[in-house]
Amino acid sequence: MTNILIFIIVILVIATLVQIVRVGELLSEIKNKDVNEVSDKDNNTQGLLFLIVGFGFLIFVVWQMITWNHLLLPPASSVHGTQIDLLMKVSMGLIIVVFFITSPMLFYFAFKYRGKKSNNAYFLSHNNKLEVVWTVIPTIILTVLIIFGLKTWDNAMNVEVTESTKLIEVYAKQYNWTARYSGIDNKLGKANYKLVKGKNTLGVDMLDVNSADDKMAREVHLVVNEPVLLKFRSQDVIHSAFLPHFRVQMNCVPGISTQFGFTPNKTTAQMKESEGEDFEYVLLCNKICGASHFNMQMKFIVETQEEYDIWIASQDNLEKKLLTQK
Amino acid sequence: MSEHHKENFITKYVFSMDHKMIAKQFLLTGMFMAVVGMLMSAIFRVQLANPGESSILYNLLPSTWLNDAGGLNPDKYLALVTMHGTILVFWVLTAGLSGTFANFLIPLQIGARDMASGFLNMLSYWFFFIATVVLMSSLFVESGPASGGWTIYPPLSALPQAIPGSGTGMTLWLISITLFVVGSLLGGLNYIVTILNLRTIGMTMKRLPLTVWALLITAILGVLSFPVLLSCGLLLVFDRSFGTSFYLSDIIINGEVLHNEGGSPILFEHLFWFLGHPEVYIILLPALGIVSEVIAVNSRKPIFGYKAMVGALLLIAFLSFIVWGHHMFMTGMNPFLGSVFTFTTLLIAIPSAVKVFNYLATLWRGNIRFTPAMLFAIGTVSAFITGGLTGIILGDSALDINVHDTYFVVGHFHIVMGLSAIYGMFAGVYHWFPKMYGRMMNKHLGYIHFWGTFICAYGVFFPMHFLGLAGLPRRYYSNSAFPMFDGLSDINALITFFALAGAIVQAIFLFNFFYSIFKGTKASQNPWKSNTLEWTTPIERIHGNWPGELPVVKRWAYDYSKPGAEEDFIIQTEPLKDGEIEH
Amino acid sequence: MDIALRNMVKKQLLWISLAAISMFFASMLSAFIVEKADVGNWKEFILPNYFVFSTGVIILSSLLLFFIKPQLKKEKSIFSLVFSVLILGIIFSYFQIKGWQQLTNQGIFLTGVGSNISGSFLYILTLTHLLHLVGGLVGLCISTIKSKQNLYSVNNYLGLELTAIYWHFLTVLWVILFAFLKFY
Repeated sequence: MTNILIFIIVILVIATLVQIVRVGELLSEIKNKDVNEVSDKDNNTQGLLFLIVGFGFLIFVVWQMITWNHLLLPPASSVHGTQIDLLMKVSMGLIIVVFFITSPMLFYFAFKYRGKKSNNAYFLSHNNKLEVVWTVIPTIILTVLIIFGLKTWDNAMNVEVTESTKLIEVYAKQYNWTARYSGIDNKLGKANYKLVKGKNTLGVDMLDVNSADDKMAREVHLVVNEPVLLKFRSQDVIHSAFLPHFRVQMNCVPGISTQFGFTPNKTTAQMKESEGEDFEYVLLCNKICGASHFNMQMKFIVETQEEYDIWIASQDNLEKKLLTQK
Repeated sequence: MSEHHKENFITKYVFSMDHKMIAKQFLLTGMFMAVVGMLMSAIFRVQLANPGESSILYNLLPSTWLNDAGGLNPDKYLALVTMHGTILVFWVLTAGLSGTFANFLIPLQIGARDMASGFLNMLSYWFFFIATVVLMSSLFVESGPASGGWTIYPPLSALPQAIPGSGTGMTLWLISITLFVVGSLLGGLNYIVTILNLRTIGMTMKRLPLTVWALLITAILGVLSFPVLLSCGLLLVFDRSFGTSFYLSDIIINGEVLHNEGGSPILFEHLFWFLGHPEVYIILLPALGIVSEVIAVNSRKPIFGYKAMVGALLLIAFLSFIVWGHHMFMTGMNPFLGSVFTFTTLLIAIPSAVKVFNYLATLWRGNIRFTPAMLFAIGTVSAFITGGLTGIILGDSALDINVHDTYFVVGHFHIVMGLSAIYGMFAGVYHWFPKMYGRMMNKHLGYIHFWGTFICAYGVFFPMHFLGLAGLPRRYYSNSAFPMFDGLSDINALITFFALAGAIVQAIFLFNFFYSIFKGTKASQNPWKSNTLEWTTPIERIHGNWPGELPVVKRWAYDYSKPGAEEDFIIQTEPLKDGEIEH
Repeated sequence: MDIALRNMVKKQLLWISLAAISMFFASMLSAFIVEKADVGNWKEFILPNYFVFSTGVIILSSLLLFFIKPQLKKEKSIFSLVFSVLILGIIFSYFQIKGWQQLTNQGIFLTGVGSNISGSFLYILTLTHLLHLVGGLVGLCISTIKSKQNLYSVNNYLGLELTAIYWHFLTVLWVILFAFLKFY
């Protein structure tokens, strides 16, 4: 019934609109005017609208920057992330400046040069000097940005892996994450998808000597200021491990091993102080992976060495978990 | 061509070989798909504002897509997102935009009777039409349409066990896109050959309107990049249906161990984005071409820096082939390769900047006439500035680490590619409507349509940057699973409000369009006082475009407000006066 | 459009399609290169002898096509020429199928548990080439019938010319594929 009602209303609205538009056009025909001819009056209104709405848009942008600033991610909690933040600030500052020069220019020109029947436009087909100028300036700015960007990228991606770098495997599947600590030897045992069975959800090869002391966990604990190398694997489809607070992201691809190394430099406790009691570091999935993609998460906790030692000691190693407990 | 047969209803309106009729067919199909795609976005925006709740809009959906409480199922949310992307990228902004204006403008603006091959042209539309039917039919499959994102990354798209949409829905998607590519290739071949061979006497490449230049470059991009999508899709078909392992390796899905070994999903991404990035410019360049023409005509000034504009188009097109890796910075690619792609990507900013400055210089000291088309053209430039600038963030691999696949990306490409292109398309429709239907579109409704769209579109897409900078990933059914996103619900509600308002505003356009076809005021011969050849053809559509001899071109397309001329425009067929220099 | 222009347009249409087809195969070959470099369990294969024979056959058929123009100039019948190209084309297809048979005997499969990406690529590259060749065979069939009816003259043999260009393209494509599969 409601559907029919809606249908009737829509038809009525359209019919009314047809009549209104028709009457408007007929009226101007009576006045011997072409209704769709753009008059000086139209140019004035539309030019003014560009000024008002255009600058309204710019004010809206500024309003958003102020009102929503507190919602943005807090400063990076990792060493390389601080550099990324700096690059972000510089690039963002730059594009905001360019935006606030070119956009007002566009809206102002639209207003300023609104047409008049009696006016004539200024014939100007090209000006090589000007064109060279506005090719060269962006080129210089971009060169600086590219060099700065590439340095930061290089720093973030080519992390030096030393013996003290802690190895942790992050294993993705629909729709959860599992972590595997490399244990005392700091070496991850081999794994193969064919060995996934029962409790051995990661397919760890228990014949490998490095496997015995590995530990599985459903949350990741990291020691503050200690470098860590995350190794990623996926069981089914492409996932992406996204740790926004650390400025870390890497795809997890079935059949391929990927990695990302970083050094967290703020503990969860410190972050709770500045960001509120509810704050937690969290790992999200950032590559469409199926129905529950939006709820695929794992907690990350950054803590002091002492806290970490207590926690890790409470975790069973794989040998105990898989081989002895039947 | 002289052998134009008498037309009956079928050959005139259905299996027409007249480029103008084919253009209208593309336009109407594109508009239909745009409405479908827009409704989909309205539906998932409602879901994002009120996650899990029911809504009156969901009555449009099959009941199997909803849960018992009347809310949208998460996998069907992904289906909507996927189909929205597919429809808008391929059906509306590739076929609807290029198909319409390449078909309509190329012969008219270069002074040809028709396309090089009317038959291929007709075939191109009908391939597109069948592709449309197949794609739409996938909406009614029990397991739902393709749901793995419009980029259809395997293994998700290859395994029905991973998401229901990857079953029959994905198969239909692949069939449909294959037909679509064949149609696009037939069209593209035709456009290129027509522009290269059938220009009328005097229409040198240096005198071509920028629309035609843009359409030519677009067609070349299409012909070189679409075949790659075919090979990429072919390998996927083999993986999905016949058990090869090109993209699959070491997979356990739903407890089932697959035999596939050795393949790489990353290979798919490389092949896909080798098409995918030029595709962005296949969408954008025709819009920029249209905008160049509309801005020049309505500023009553020559387009500033014609040669630089053509050069920028060529450079953008060339660069678009060597930047695809910037979609894949986070795939674990070799960091050095990432650096190379960052470098090439940021280079695109240079020709883009040149284009923007040239548009500004064209407006400068003009005598701007605000037709609805002109409003949309200026809107395009604004969107191109706003969206293009955030590209500098995303193209930088180091910054991409934290904004990759977040709403920042969604905001960026919807503004720079979605809005720019759709505004360009609107500009084109308003500008050439009198040529298409012999009647004018209502000016006042056009004004309301533009301002409504302009305000709502920025209201929808600008706040998305902030969602992205807050770390919110795209393609999330709801962001309620993460306490860190709790503060974002206001922004989401605001976006949804503007999205629904924007959708309603489009009804004004649809009304204006169909009203004007039948009831609009009659158009005059050259309503915009434009220089280009299409305005020398008779108002009533004839097959063959010009009743007598083809026009002979004597000057370029942009002699507006030339000093010494009687009027502020000089049609291209007007000979140069004694001592007059060509621009 | 006058006839000269129309012929040129048709030829250009063909040339641009050939560019598109080349992109299809180029992307397939680059996928091959990438996978070969990346994949751990890449299985090397030995090309079947039949592919060597078929290479000879298709080169021969292409060479025969060069005699068409001189023959037409002398106003001689070209039926036997076109017909033999067609036959050679069919022999080529037969050899390809025999080649696949040889591959399966070697234990190289297109799909399934025993398959390897290297083999899958080998089959798909040859298969897609053969599919394109079927188009060429259809063109040759038409040309054969038309040449039987003496419909071609030196001033009017566009259809045959287009078929010949396409056929040469298939030959070159096959030689490249063959060399690539053999030596890369």
